[in-house]
Amino acid sequence: MKFLIKIGDKEYPVEILEKEGEVKIKVGEKEFSFKKEEKIFLAKTKFEKREFKEKRILAPIAGTISEIFVKEGDFVKEGQKIFLLSAMKMENEILSDFEGKVKKVFVKKGENVKKDQTLLIGE
Amino acid sequence: MKILEFEKLESTQKKAKEIAKEAEPWTVVLAKEQTGGYGRKGNFWYSPRGGLYFSAILPKTKIEDLQILTILAAFCIAKILKEDFKFEPFIKLPNDVYVNNKKICGILTENMILGKEVKNSIIGIGLNTNIEKFPKDLENIATSIKIELKRKVENKELLKKILEELKEKLEIIS
Repeated sequence: MKFLIKIGDKEYPVEILEKEGEVKIKVGEKEFSFKKEEKIFLAKTKFEKREFKEKRILAPIAGTISEIFVKEGDFVKEGQKIFLLSAMKMENEILSDFEGKVKKVFVKKGENVKKDQTLLIGE
Repeated sequence: MKILEFEKLESTQKKAKEIAKEAEPWTVVLAKEQTGGYGRKGNFWYSPRGGLYFSAILPKTKIEDLQILTILAAFCIAKILKEDFKFEPFIKLPNDVYVNNKKICGILTENMILGKEVKNSIIGIGLNTNIEKFPKDLENIATSIKIELKRKVENKELLKKILEELKEKLEIIS
């Protein structure tokens, strides 16, 4: 089987021959031969690891978790009440900013939390 | 400013929270009495007829400014009590106002926070205005304008005054 491969302006005659369990590929004067059973390893294509942005709920202010309205495995909607955080003598309802499953709750009722502490992760 | 008036509610705060999503800022829920008025940590707030019970849906605030809301409201109430009734109010920071060592007003701010955004802030105020007598368990720790002043006050006028004062003060910080 003969081809002509054109790369840019240059043409390369390529010939593929198959004979007695051998595959020969001739490019111009150069010859490459492979045994048929030889596995041809493809260079590992590096797939970009897909970044699934983790869904996290952080404490917007420091305070005490006075109520937890969800548990691990629950499905939550955006805007759903997740925690009650008492801070500065105010009651703050922490709403979910994502829709999905609650993967892990990191705090317990009565626990003091710092600002930006992760309270929950979802998926 | 829109005032929604009710004869009786379980809680003005609860009602305000229900309507907060759709309501305009400065929508106020007012009730002549509450059957389940509450303060911080769900503590019961004695709310018979005669008192002034309302919850105001506030304009959106930044998270950093939340802390000031309650203090500002306590300051406004104390200022009015001092100027209009010549009381010597004491603010037990940040959310209670006392007259003659007895509680006359309680303030509860509740915020709904989504991510880094404050979706709603509702301030609930219970002011003991025309309450003539408190039950035994409260009579030594609570008082009212009527008990102190020996005269009735106009709840609605007082409400408007408080709201105007609060609005003015809030505009300064926003």
